[in-house]
Amino acid sequence: MAGIELVKLEKHYVVEGKTIPVLTGINLQIPEERITVILGKSGCGKTTLLRLAGGLEDPDGGSIHYGLSQRTAFVFQEPRLMPWLDVTGNICFGLKRQEIHRDEIHSIIHTVGLDGFEKAYPSQLSGGMQQRTAIARALAYHPSFIMMDEPFAALDYFTREQMQRELLRVWKSQKASILFVTHSIDEALLLGHKIVIIEKGVVKTEFELPKAGDFRNLLDDKFIMLKREIIENLNVAV
Amino acid sequence: MGIFSTYVLPSPGKVWGSFQKMLLSGEVFRDIMISMGRVFKGFAIAFVLAFLLGMIRAMIPASGVFYEYLVQFFRNVPPLSLIPLLILWCGIGETTKTVIIVLASFFPMYLNIVKGFTGCDRKLLEVGKVFGYSRLKQFVKITLPYASADILVGMRIGLGYSWRAIIGAEMVAASSGLGHMILFAQQMSRTDKVIVGILVIGLIGYGTDRIFGWAIKKLLKGSCENGWN
Ligand SMILES: Nc1ncnc2c1ncn2[C@@H]1O[C@H](COP(=O)(O)OP(=O)(O)OP(=O)(O)O)[C@@H](O)[C@H]1O
Ligand SMILES: [Mg+2]
Repeated sequence: MAGIELVKLEKHYVVEGKTIPVLTGINLQIPEERITVILGKSGCGKTTLLRLAGGLEDPDGGSIHYGLSQRTAFVFQEPRLMPWLDVTGNICFGLKRQEIHRDEIHSIIHTVGLDGFEKAYPSQLSGGMQQRTAIARALAYHPSFIMMDEPFAALDYFTREQMQRELLRVWKSQKASILFVTHSIDEALLLGHKIVIIEKGVVKTEFELPKAGDFRNLLDDKFIMLKREIIENLNVAV
Repeated sequence: MGIFSTYVLPSPGKVWGSFQKMLLSGEVFRDIMISMGRVFKGFAIAFVLAFLLGMIRAMIPASGVFYEYLVQFFRNVPPLSLIPLLILWCGIGETTKTVIIVLASFFPMYLNIVKGFTGCDRKLLEVGKVFGYSRLKQFVKITLPYASADILVGMRIGLGYSWRAIIGAEMVAASSGLGHMILFAQQMSRTDKVIVGILVIGLIGYGTDRIFGWAIKKLLKGSCENGWN
């Protein structure tokens, strides 16, 4: 088996003595070398699911099966940069000194559009620039598996599109597996090979999309149809 | 001017005069060097102890209970009150003097270091975890730099406390050092020399503190403001 398999995964939090169930039985196959997108409303447990898959949290029930050993990079919902390191230092944070060449750092900084800010500290960057630094940190790690939690939420339309293209390029060139959380249906349609809708702690629906590697045209009829279907799916049980 | 008797408050001219005399004879330099040596030795030992104990405390949270009560107990005991015991245990040599300085500067450093280590942002530690860092590597690459501002502030306070303890330390059978010089001048009723001693200690303390503040600024490179400079 390749990729990651979640079996009857459960997670609850206890807040002031009350148990709040978040995930109540997630069954999900996250395939290798594909982009899997988790879609759902705010507070439905997307971050929790990602943290479980990334091993940052222990499940209260069920199990997680990992395929071959993976080199996982994680992009959090917040930038989480080291305030005492500059942009270059933060990008190289997960690496040993010899593991990355200076040219490559430059090219990564260029792809996230931070040229000229190599020596800037996180406190001197805007929110979106911090998030882009965090994305660059994940890319520089040469991961075989990338987990991303609404990584582009803080970016404007054009920057986001550029980042989405870059992600597709990384996926294509490095054959990385990607688990991507978003609340944007358009983004899910643009990137996903598999779109998973989470609701009330379970997987409500899964959509499989053909694996066309190129940038998709969302104005295409079949995507508009799919979008309508997803919106209805998200809306039904309010 | 005759408002105060020269015994209570000698004139600046007289203080300056005896300072010059002490400079020329070189005795003040010898006292400075000896006191500095004691202060830095005590300070260094206290820092290493505070750092190691703080590190154990941060890496093994359960270990805290073993010595936390002890630390909190001794924190409130004035080092001077221990002098009789220290003389019994360590004699009247350098050891006792060092121990007094260690006792005076350990606690402010320890408390600041522990605050820095245990207050580390868990969200940043998780970043280390997703990159597969071991506990030690997380400590070195995240906890330590995160706490550096607190550690340096603790060291700065600790250094001040070390200088303040020098009189107490040199009360114990010293025959040299700035503290001894002041105590001896007091017995000889040389108030002018007492004032010279106070001024010298204050100036050296201020000087080392400035150097320290400058080092902090260099080290933190403006990445986190600490409001000390
Ligand atoms: N550490 C925690 N302690 C207590 N409750 C938590 C904790 N983390 C998450 N929760 C709860 O779990 C639920 C799901 O949170 P989660 O962060 O997974 O949502 P999300 O789908 O990522 O939302 P968003 O799109 O807004 O980021 C929320 O109701 C939240 O209150
Ligand atoms: Mg979230």
